[in-house]
Amino acid sequence: MKAESIIGLLMVILLAGLFFYIVEDVPPYGDPNSPALQLVRLNISVDALAVEDELNQGVIPATLVEALAARNFVAPSEVEGVTAGEWDAKIDKGEFYYEEDEKYYHFKKAGNQIEVYRYAPVVRYLEKGLEETDVPNIVTAIIVDYRAYDTLGETTVIFTAGVSVILLLRRRGKL
Amino acid sequence: MTKATGTGSYQLTAEELRVAEGRDVIIEVIASLMIPLIQLFALYVIIHGALGAGGGFQGGVILASSFILYVIAFGITGARKRLPESWNTGLQSLGVYIYAGVGLVCILVSLGLVQYLNYWALPLPVAYEMRRAMGMDFVEIGIGITVMATMTSLFFDLAWKEKEERKEVKEGNEGGEKE
Repeated sequence: MKAESIIGLLMVILLAGLFFYIVEDVPPYGDPNSPALQLVRLNISVDALAVEDELNQGVIPATLVEALAARNFVAPSEVEGVTAGEWDAKIDKGEFYYEEDEKYYHFKKAGNQIEVYRYAPVVRYLEKGLEETDVPNIVTAIIVDYRAYDTLGETTVIFTAGVSVILLLRRRGKL
Repeated sequence: MTKATGTGSYQLTAEELRVAEGRDVIIEVIASLMIPLIQLFALYVIIHGALGAGGGFQGGVILASSFILYVIAFGITGARKRLPESWNTGLQSLGVYIYAGVGLVCILVSLGLVQYLNYWALPLPVAYEMRRAMGMDFVEIGIGITVMATMTSLFFDLAWKEKEERKEVKEGNEGGEKE
C-alpha cells in the first residue's frame, strides 16, 4: 500500500467523522421553518427592561427606533406580539402596485436584552407568492418572476457557452 | 474516395444507405415511435412549468434529447436535413431575444412607468395576476428554445468533429499504405 493512498484514506475518514460530528447542529435540509432561512440577525440589541412593556402594548419604543436609525434601518410602523418574548414588526411599504405593509422585523428577548432580527426575502415570497403571481408552483414564481434578472443571466450564460462551442469546434476544414 | 451519401453519378437507395451507415431497422422503428412522444412531453413540461414541476430548462433539455435520439437512430446527415444549421443557430439567439423582448415590451407599453421584466404591464386582456403568470409562460418558452438549440448544436458540433477526425485518420492510413 502506497503512502498516498493511506493519506487519502485518512482524509476521507476524517471528513466523514467531521460530518457526523456537525450533522446534529445542522437544521433539516429544506425545512422552510428553519431559523437560518427565516431570520437574519442585525446585531442590534436594546435593554429589555424599559422596552418590553411598550412592545407588549403595541407601542413602538423610541429607544428601539433610535437604535435602528443609527444603523440606517427603516423605522417600524406597527408591532404585534407573536409569543411570550417575541414580537413581529411591519414597515410601511411604498411599492407601486403592492401597497400593504410588509412584515419586516422580528424582536426576540434573550436574557435581559432584546435582539433585532430581519425577515429573509424568502418569507415574503412564500407568504405573498400565490396572491401576487397566481402561480401555484412557488419555485417557478421565484425563478422567473421575483428573480427574473438572474434567470435572464443564466439563459445568456447557456447561449454564450453554445456560441463558444460553435466558435471552437465548427471549423469546416479551415484552421 | 467514395462518400456514403452518394452525391456522385450513382444514387444510393434508402436500403443501401441504411446498410452503408450501419443502421438498424428495429432501432429506427422504435425511435420513430418514441420521438413524437418525447417532444410532446417536452412541450408539456415547458408549458406546465407554472403549475407543477417543470420549466424552460428541463423542457428544453428533454426536447434536445429527442433530436439526439434522432441522430442516434437515423444518422447525422439525415438529422442535419431535418434541423438545418442556420435554423439551429437562429433559434439559439431567438430564445434570449424572446426573454429580453418580453422585458422590454413591459417598459414600452407602460411608457416607462414600470421597471424591466415587470410582467403585469403586458398588453393582455386578463387580470393582473393572470398577466404575471402568462408573462412567466412566455419567458419559459424563450428559455426552452435557447436551451434546446444550444444542446442540439453542441451535440451536432461534437459529432461532426468526430466524423471529420475519423475520416482524416482513414485518409492518412490509406496514404501511408500507398507510399
